[in-house]
Amino acid sequence: MEFLDLTIRELHNELVKKTVTPLELVREALLRAKSDANNAFELIMEKEALNLASKLKEPEANNLFWGIPFAIKDNFSTKDVATTASSNILNGYVPVFDAAVVKRLLDAKAIPIAKTTLDELAMGGSGTTGHLGTTYNPYDRKREHLIGGSSCGSAASVAASIVPFALGSDTGDSIRKPASYAGLVGFKPTWGRISRFGLFPFATSLDHVGYFTRSIFDAASLLNILAGRDDEDSTSSEVPVEDYTRLLTTDIRGARIAVIKEVVESIYDKDIGAAFQKTLASLRARGAHIEYVSIDRKLLESLFPTYIVISCAEATSNNANLDGIKFGPHYEAPTYEGTIMQARTKGFSELIKRRFVIGSFCLMKENQEVLFLRAQKIRRMVVEKITAILSDFDVIFVPASPTPAPRIGEMSDRLSDEYLIADNHMIIGNFAGLPSITLPIGFKKNLPFGGNITGSPFAEARVLQIAKVVEDISGFYNLSTRTAKV
Amino acid sequence: MNFEAVIGLEIHVEMKTRSKMFSSAPVEFGVEPNTLIVPNDMAFPGTMPTVNRQAVINAIRVADALHMQIDEVLVFDRKNYFYSDLPKGYQITQDKRPIGRNGHLDVKTDVVRTISIERLHIEEDTCKQLHFSDYTLLDYNRSGVPLIEIVSRPDIRSGDEAMKYVEAIRSVVIYADVSDGKMEEGSLRCDVNISLRPLGSAKLGTKVEVKNLNSLANIQRAIDFEVRRQERSLLLGQPIVQETRRFDEATRETITMRIKTDAVDYKYFTEPNLTPIRLRRDFIDEAIASCPELAETKARRYLGDQGLSERDASIILQSKDLAQYYDEAARCTTNYKALANWVTGEVVAYLNKKSIPVENFFISPSQLALLVDSIERKDISSKQGRDIFAEMLSTTSSVKEAREKLGIATQISDESIIITYISEALTAFPESVEDYRDGKDRALGFLIGQIMKKSGGKVNPGLTSKLLVEELKKR
Amino acid sequence: MKAIDKEVLKDAAKRLLFDMSEAEYDTLLSEFDIIVKQMNIIGTIEGVESYEPMTFPFECATSYLREDAPTRPLAREEALKNAKSKASGQIKLPKVVG
Repeated sequence: MEFLDLTIRELHNELVKKTVTPLELVREALLRAKSDANNAFELIMEKEALNLASKLKEPEANNLFWGIPFAIKDNFSTKDVATTASSNILNGYVPVFDAAVVKRLLDAKAIPIAKTTLDELAMGGSGTTGHLGTTYNPYDRKREHLIGGSSCGSAASVAASIVPFALGSDTGDSIRKPASYAGLVGFKPTWGRISRFGLFPFATSLDHVGYFTRSIFDAASLLNILAGRDDEDSTSSEVPVEDYTRLLTTDIRGARIAVIKEVVESIYDKDIGAAFQKTLASLRARGAHIEYVSIDRKLLESLFPTYIVISCAEATSNNANLDGIKFGPHYEAPTYEGTIMQARTKGFSELIKRRFVIGSFCLMKENQEVLFLRAQKIRRMVVEKITAILSDFDVIFVPASPTPAPRIGEMSDRLSDEYLIADNHMIIGNFAGLPSITLPIGFKKNLPFGGNITGSPFAEARVLQIAKVVEDISGFYNLSTRTAKV
Repeated sequence: MNFEAVIGLEIHVEMKTRSKMFSSAPVEFGVEPNTLIVPNDMAFPGTMPTVNRQAVINAIRVADALHMQIDEVLVFDRKNYFYSDLPKGYQITQDKRPIGRNGHLDVKTDVVRTISIERLHIEEDTCKQLHFSDYTLLDYNRSGVPLIEIVSRPDIRSGDEAMKYVEAIRSVVIYADVSDGKMEEGSLRCDVNISLRPLGSAKLGTKVEVKNLNSLANIQRAIDFEVRRQERSLLLGQPIVQETRRFDEATRETITMRIKTDAVDYKYFTEPNLTPIRLRRDFIDEAIASCPELAETKARRYLGDQGLSERDASIILQSKDLAQYYDEAARCTTNYKALANWVTGEVVAYLNKKSIPVENFFISPSQLALLVDSIERKDISSKQGRDIFAEMLSTTSSVKEAREKLGIATQISDESIIITYISEALTAFPESVEDYRDGKDRALGFLIGQIMKKSGGKVNPGLTSKLLVEELKKR
Repeated sequence: MKAIDKEVLKDAAKRLLFDMSEAEYDTLLSEFDIIVKQMNIIGTIEGVESYEPMTFPFECATSYLREDAPTRPLAREEALKNAKSKASGQIKLPKVVG
């Protein structure tokens, strides 16, 4: 196996043994990135990566991330490296500062090799709306399947083994859904667990920093260095950081796992249903206590519309700074309104504009009561309900997606009621800011699909513990297009 | 038909903290444009606000001085609108829960009236725009500077009252060390809302907003003009147009700036980048306790215990630095009236003549107090005091050094010593005694002169004269 | 709630300082249709109006306030390097009126 196909932990061991150097790794990663056919990258940081890698001579045995290449979703601010959020309105924008998580990884001597594509401004779930076009699912060499979004490029880069991990962001399942379609571990810790400073905001109260890895251990280790209070992000938590790997080798006897009946019932795919049930049985065999719980259908069906209202409203405000005046493409006009109007009309796609109009409308004085505020009330109802469930259970476990990766052109048809619950239940994790992880549980016609585990706020160690057992059960450790037996 | 003016004031105060309201960029004035910026101030994507502790303390101090209820939870909102001087496309402010609510201020014109203050909240300033003939330049230095907004109820009834209200607020923010309150520099800005209604009517008339008032006098002038303008219109049966007007200094008139159509909808919602901040009771109490003394409190002391005249008190209080100087000197002496005389007299005259601020005044408060005491103790005469004062300033010396230079030793006020001098003089000049008995008053002056000469000018003249007359009467 | 028609949406877009094509407004109208319909259904969920709106995912009040200590500002060239229209160390706009 080539080094770059390994997980972070294994790669680290090789680096320590000096069987491979960071420079060799980075060169290979750059090679793979440059030959990527899935449109996973906005920009390849060749010069920067080689420069950083060449400086790393003596491996740090206690630093898992020393010399490890990784990719960054292009909505994280990277100093001196263009960052566009896959939107034309930010073409050519070169930040003067690093996002907090980028800085932590650089301090740990990890090596960023590329910025990855996303749905424009992270406002999408198909992986098709970025300004460079569709990002394809590496599991289909014919490039007929999507990988979802908004963190499409990051998912593709890890699934294709170009890098062992990549940063992403999750506002309405934008890490955890593509993780399911790409057979990856996609983790979104508790809101505020990881600093959002430098993450281009979509919907602030729903945005989470997260990432893709190919093993639970890697996900837990990454949290160890990314978690923690950052005074630059006033919403980042002061809850002390633990060692998130500490429960990974323990058994889960007596663990209480809840399964949401209505979510399972909303998924018609028999293979997914079977894989999920098989996983449940294996969990039972290992001593977990599994119980079905119920959430009012109407409440679950309200998740998507209320998410649209809240996220569009916050997004409209968050993106009001994009005007071509301080940064981004600029257009001359006789008035300053004209100059902003040109920048925003030309820079935003039509989809984004529609979202902003929706958001703005929901915030208008006469509309706030029945739109924005009502959506926020639903949010409280949802959070109350899920908190009640989690007060009695350690985690909630459900299938992450109703199908494996959809074909291109299929996704927009799915706003129908059939998929309303099945496609959107993971929004619960954003509404309530819960730690939530997707990991692969099966394959259907050579396309992977995953299960999703969600726990109480700041119970990451518990969530990872149970995820590790699911990983053991499924056998999908270090799953990628290069290791998958497809 | 008699009309009543219904006036409300919105005052914005720039706080002189060291860093900005929601970013750690420095707050300074008079520097090169765009040199006081951190990423947050340019609204670069991914930047986030952090709340300035001192700014919160300042807001609490002012709110308390205005007798307001202070909210123990700090919550912010977004005010969304597009304008060239607003980098984020929204301003972080407080809409739903201002930090201060329901306060009041007593304002004295020919009567004392209580003006209710509805709210006091924290927000951030915008960029500075420099307008040229066909372009505008943006300086982001000011973007994010902390602001306090104080909104009164429409209780004010005249231009004079409005001016005094603003004066009072200005005094509070200056003395509380929150702002330098310089209207002409924009660190204190005032917008006025005026409507008229028939006397006795409860219904409010159409409101006109007047902006860009950059001095206390202009506030009064603008309101007086506007009231007359509206009155004239109403008497002619013409409806008042709801609009924003600006004050033209040259003509002393208000002029239409823009007609208000619908009120702008700012789509306020809770700022999601700032989780609610709990202000503990001891934090609030400490903020209030650590507030420098306000003019109101000083005035009570000056007019009460210290027995100063209203005139002296008001002169001293016109300048925070002068009041501070006076207070420090007053700690070293109990001769308050005399001290006040010196401060409002000689000191102020000197400062004005040399155009220097109090901080640069050479004579320290304790030295001035010493000088005043020496005079009151009659160690030296008032004239000697003024000579010493001038000497101290021209040669930058202390009281002691100046007295030595001028040869003004301690004045003799000991009666037994003076009587010794008197006896010597009467013995030496018996004919003067005779002359005095014969009614020649000149003899008195002669004898005092001799005693002065003999004692090297050190005897207290007044006392000497009195004792001399007594001795002469005995003989 | 404001009645939704193309004029209202065009006005909303104008206030957001961008233009959309006619076709997009049609798409937008149908999207609004769905949203409003769904929000009305949501309005019938028992007890929803008795809930307080929720901004944050959970109770997360803090007592942290930043010390009033200035940090080093950006060099002017750095702060303005992404701005395309500049003059005299400032950002240049067409004359702003009003």
